[in-house]
Amino acid sequence: MTEFHRAYGLCIDSRIALPELDRCSCPEGGPDLTILAGDVPETPCATEGWRVISPFVQVAEGRFWLHVPGVARFTAEYGRLIRVDPCAGVDAGSVRVFLLGSVLGAILFQRGFLLLHGNAIDIDGRTMVCIGVSGSGKSTLAAAFAARGYRLLSDDVVPVDADCAAIPGIPRIKLWQDSAERLDIATASLDRIRPGLAKFNLPVRDSFSETPLPIRWIYILAPDNNTDITLTAISGLDRFQPLLSHTYRRRFMEGMALQPEHLHRCGALAGKVHLARVRRPVTGFDVDGLVDALLADMERAG
Amino acid sequence: MAGIFWLASYPKSGNTWFRSVLRACLGGADGLLDINALQTGKIASSRAWVDDVAGFDTSDLTQAEIENLRPHVYRWSAGQGTEPAYHKIHDAYRLTGEGQPIIDTEATRGAVYIIRNPLDVAPSYAAHNGTGIDRAIDRMGDHDHALSRVKEALPTQLLQVMGSWSDHVTSWMDAPGLALHPVRYEDMLDRPEDTFGQALRFLEVDRDAACIARAVELCRFERLARQERDHGFRERPARADRFFRSGRAGGWRDTLSPAQVARIIADHGAVMARFGYLDAQGNPV
Repeated sequence: MTEFHRAYGLCIDSRIALPELDRCSCPEGGPDLTILAGDVPETPCATEGWRVISPFVQVAEGRFWLHVPGVARFTAEYGRLIRVDPCAGVDAGSVRVFLLGSVLGAILFQRGFLLLHGNAIDIDGRTMVCIGVSGSGKSTLAAAFAARGYRLLSDDVVPVDADCAAIPGIPRIKLWQDSAERLDIATASLDRIRPGLAKFNLPVRDSFSETPLPIRWIYILAPDNNTDITLTAISGLDRFQPLLSHTYRRRFMEGMALQPEHLHRCGALAGKVHLARVRRPVTGFDVDGLVDALLADMERAG
Repeated sequence: MAGIFWLASYPKSGNTWFRSVLRACLGGADGLLDINALQTGKIASSRAWVDDVAGFDTSDLTQAEIENLRPHVYRWSAGQGTEPAYHKIHDAYRLTGEGQPIIDTEATRGAVYIIRNPLDVAPSYAAHNGTGIDRAIDRMGDHDHALSRVKEALPTQLLQVMGSWSDHVTSWMDAPGLALHPVRYEDMLDRPEDTFGQALRFLEVDRDAACIARAVELCRFERLARQERDHGFRERPARADRFFRSGRAGGWRDTLSPAQVARIIADHGAVMARFGYLDAQGNPV
């Protein structure tokens, strides 16, 4: 019997095992997304309509192709079909890292979501989204909120629907060894996301929010060279650009010509949320202090 | 392809000063220069740059995979613009595991390499890292020294392998087939108009002498240091009290012990002599 999985509100029929995802029963209309193992062309750009938007990414209307050297080639089509062609000898975990990251991201773009690069936490029925560049401390912060009993909606990619609600993603946080140690999380029993990387899959099935929740607060996290945590609210027209620049894989969105709808969504979201820039010291990351500071700010902003 | 000019140096060798003058010249050198907006280009080790162009996260890659990726990213970026780009780099010039120069031959139009007397680099590098001078001398002599070497966490910069100070200098100065313009920090101080003028011509930034003189004046050390004191500097490392420290040549005479001078000369004497930092008898000049 075929097993179905759920992520980002989609019922997924996958011929590739996806242990990070929850299982679900298939709705009457059949699965939303099918994942097949199969031949992916070495480069599709010889075919009409394709454009090269990166050394490793090509797009055509409704279609997307990605090559992760030494790992796999992927295509994502019309928000409904993914093909995966692993390189010889590669481990399944490595393939899933990019399948569940960039490739699912392309599918979500094709399905019309605004995608933010960050994570989403359920704060008493409303969503806090924390955005920032890789290395700013987003995943550590998400794990710290989970340790305090708050439920996660999504880590790394936050899809936002037309009503400005965040869609639940995958019930796991990808956590580096040092972040785990900072939070007293033992990594001995956790799976590495890939062999040779000190980065682990932390399952959060018990503290995962399964329904979309409206976004109320967005924080832009950045490490800096000062010694205190500082929060600066952003108002007016300045609220639009940070949402655009922290779009997940903005290059894909622009490449697939989805920009007009995306800009419209960014504008709508900017008008609805409390947005603030959060600077935290680059050395001596006091993650508990940061959680306290954000909770206090959310309380103030209401 | 418009190509990339790399602004290469060991840390604390005058790269930021050089970029300030370049920024002032590119901007016409007629206003104030903001040290927190030195947008001459990116830094080669920017994780955000490599992630964006690749389309997947370097935080999910091994060091070897990241290194192999970097030349592809620079080649792609070099092919996008119509004007030459100026990007800073602290990596040594080296080959990836796949045997390609990390800066990519096709992407690279040339490089300015800024060299500074290692006797002056040592106290500055110590303050930069918030360490003692002996620790800085250890690092400058370490053939495996690298920036952002963090195995179990995620810095916003990628690993930058530098090797020792001598390794770093010779990697760039002797890079086969690279169009290279060497600049001595001490010449930037002693003969700024000539030194910057020649370097800017190499970088295809065609400005007259008056413009260059204005840019040099705008970027005088005291002005940059005052800006940092008044408004902070976002490129200051968290462990350093300040980024713009002394900005002069020969300061080592007041800060290094004879034993420290001897260690630096023992580690780097050959390269120091080659670039005029030792006299024929092997003594510091």
